[in-house]
Amino acid sequence: MAIKEDVYTRIFQILSYAVIIIASIACLLPFLLIISASLTSNESIIRDGYHFIPQEFSLEGYRTVFTFPEEVLRAYGVTIFTTVVGTTLGLFLMTMAGYVLARKDFKYRNAFSFYIYFTTLFGGGLVPWYIMLTKYLGLLDTYTVLIFPGLMTPFLIILMKNFIRSSMPEELFESAKIDGAGDFKIYYRIVLPLSTPGIATVGLFLALAYWNDWFSSSLFINDPHKYQLQYYLYNVINSMQFIAQMGAGTGVSLSNDMPTESTKMAMAIVVTGPILLLYPFIQRYFVKGLTIGAVKG
Amino acid sequence: MTFTKKRKQRMSILIAVMVIMALLAGCGGGGGSSAQKADGTDDKSQKVQLQFYMLGDAPKDLPAVEAEINKLAEKDLNATVKFNYTTWTDWDQKYKLLLSSGQPIDLIFTADWTQYQAYAKKGAFLPLDDLLPKAAPALQKFVPQEMWDGVKIGGKIYTVPGTYKEYVTNGFVWREDLREKYNLPKPTDIKSYEAYMDGIRQHEPNMKPVSLNSDIKGNLHDRYSELVTKSVGALPYGIGIKYEKPTEVYKYWGSDEQKEELSIYKRWADKGFIPKNVLNVKDTLQDQVTSGKAASIFGDNPTRFNDMVIKLKASHPDWKLDYYPFPLTTGFATPVHPIHNGFAIPKSSPNPARALAFYEKLVTDKRYNLLTQYGIEGKNYEVKDGYYQMIGTGSTNGFSREGMNSWAWRNPEYMLFDSGFDRVKKIFAELDKIQKPDVFTGFAEDYTTYQAEKAALEQVEKQYLYPLQAGLIDNVDQGLQTFLQKANQAGLEKIQTEYTKQWEAYVKEKNIK
Repeated sequence: MAIKEDVYTRIFQILSYAVIIIASIACLLPFLLIISASLTSNESIIRDGYHFIPQEFSLEGYRTVFTFPEEVLRAYGVTIFTTVVGTTLGLFLMTMAGYVLARKDFKYRNAFSFYIYFTTLFGGGLVPWYIMLTKYLGLLDTYTVLIFPGLMTPFLIILMKNFIRSSMPEELFESAKIDGAGDFKIYYRIVLPLSTPGIATVGLFLALAYWNDWFSSSLFINDPHKYQLQYYLYNVINSMQFIAQMGAGTGVSLSNDMPTESTKMAMAIVVTGPILLLYPFIQRYFVKGLTIGAVKG
Repeated sequence: MTFTKKRKQRMSILIAVMVIMALLAGCGGGGGSSAQKADGTDDKSQKVQLQFYMLGDAPKDLPAVEAEINKLAEKDLNATVKFNYTTWTDWDQKYKLLLSSGQPIDLIFTADWTQYQAYAKKGAFLPLDDLLPKAAPALQKFVPQEMWDGVKIGGKIYTVPGTYKEYVTNGFVWREDLREKYNLPKPTDIKSYEAYMDGIRQHEPNMKPVSLNSDIKGNLHDRYSELVTKSVGALPYGIGIKYEKPTEVYKYWGSDEQKEELSIYKRWADKGFIPKNVLNVKDTLQDQVTSGKAASIFGDNPTRFNDMVIKLKASHPDWKLDYYPFPLTTGFATPVHPIHNGFAIPKSSPNPARALAFYEKLVTDKRYNLLTQYGIEGKNYEVKDGYYQMIGTGSTNGFSREGMNSWAWRNPEYMLFDSGFDRVKKIFAELDKIQKPDVFTGFAEDYTTYQAEKAALEQVEKQYLYPLQAGLIDNVDQGLQTFLQKANQAGLEKIQTEYTKQWEAYVKEKNIK
């Protein structure tokens, strides 16, 4: 019996290793291709296409990127700033909202819950949203616009609410109240420490959303100094495509030096590189947060 | 207890502060204050900031140039200006949002390819007819009357046209050094071009005879119709209109003319001129030539040809490029329509008069013009023997020639050219001899009635027509039949009738025969 089980375990192990190896190769190869392309001369990319080993080695791409390194660094700064501030503020607001909605003695909680839930079903659409933020709130070209719209995500509020409701019994609040704690103190001293797994999950979602955000920059930012990293990269890569699309018919001659293929790839490496290096070190916290969240929640 | 109370208070203060801060941050962005008096005249004693919107990416040295311009504008007009850029990413969506959201914008770029005609028709811009003589008399005089007439939509002026005359007609671009080496014919029409490509195929088997990419309609069909069928620009929906007979609208799709065109592509594909994966190629046409991958382009405009020559001079001085403009074969050349480059004042502008006065300065005042076209003299450029000379290279200089995408306010009197541009001027001079006006770009298509059909047809085109145009379908006739059948299902008939109706109304209105 024992031997048989071992065979199965073995097969399972071999299979899972194979799957993981194939999956990781599928993830790594494109990245290798980018690295190799960033080290190839631009002409060679156009002539011979992409290769895993550079046909014509050249550092031109990196040289172009680092002629004005402050641009990339500034974009980095903006993204780090919006991610940190947005995640902290967003977590604060969403845990508060979740806590309030989870309290059974809050009279209008159903109405509020429905209101929040309703927005996930029906949105106003792009144009009203744009008009609201630019015309009535006057947020065009501010850092606020990069942070503000993401602060209250309905889905995450509902998640938080459910988490608090399922993990903290109503009696806990009652006893705290008897001991003389106010509502805010209950939130601050009891709910927050008890909901760390939930906070970790929601925080991770939020942080990823802020880190990957390019759309807000695309719509609301005119000042290149305020571009987020992802948009900065996206924009560089897209300028070229635009030129190709417009074709000869328009006669628009763009005298600015357009980024070449190798520059684009070098840019991608420069932009994603640091977070890739950082990831292995912070990854364990992500894993911890998620597993605790999954087990407890 | 007191301790907790204090803490509680502190917390609530903190929250209150945060809420207020969030609100305040919202109000920080400056709103457009209007300096317009009740009777509509401009109150110059009130300082305003003009919002100026451009397409594309801002040059790196823009802040320095903007500061210089503001120094001048503050003295002359008691105004400052903020230059805003959309970037090329999703610019059309942003353009639409800018105009539809009612933001305070004072000046915005317009062109035929940004759908000036459609926006003007929908009332996005302010009519300038009454404002011009009051706010910018010098500008009104500077732009010739026929240009003002040319940009009129529904009898009203909505944009200030650019006055620099250029040709964006196409022409063959080819490697002259290879042509000489193998003694090939000069491309002047389809036949000689094919012979040239045959020769390249034979002698340089690793080279692509023609540079193509996934935009197969633009690469092949649009060029072909300019050279062979002599149509009015690039027409949509398989409509055919010839330059000589603008009142006659016919169905190009399915015609013998189209069958001949498609059979040429089929032959080219069979000979290996068109690669099998052409619909996946993303490289630009120019890059393919300057990197030595391809030996010719089936049509590019003189300015871009010149850019390529300059680029090659630095990287491959032993290669030679040559150019043959299509108009020399077709017999006529059309300079760009005044709509092609312009600036409009959106309806939402709080200071239209001041904006127009500023734009007048930008065009007619040499200091403003040179600053915004070429940057700061001595830092970004210098003038040598009357020619423009960039300081440093494109990647180190923060403001290259026309770096602000300032095509609309070029002033022919102040323009500085790179010495290499003489080549283009020579081509332009040649084309001047056979020029005919482009009177058709003023046409504003209104597709509201057939929007759904239009979207469906675009899909069908991509799926069934592009492969035909790339010569990938073995049986051309059968492929064309399938395409036409699918196009008819998508509502081709309705689109064509509507378009024809609108076109005929336009031709009648403008009295074009």
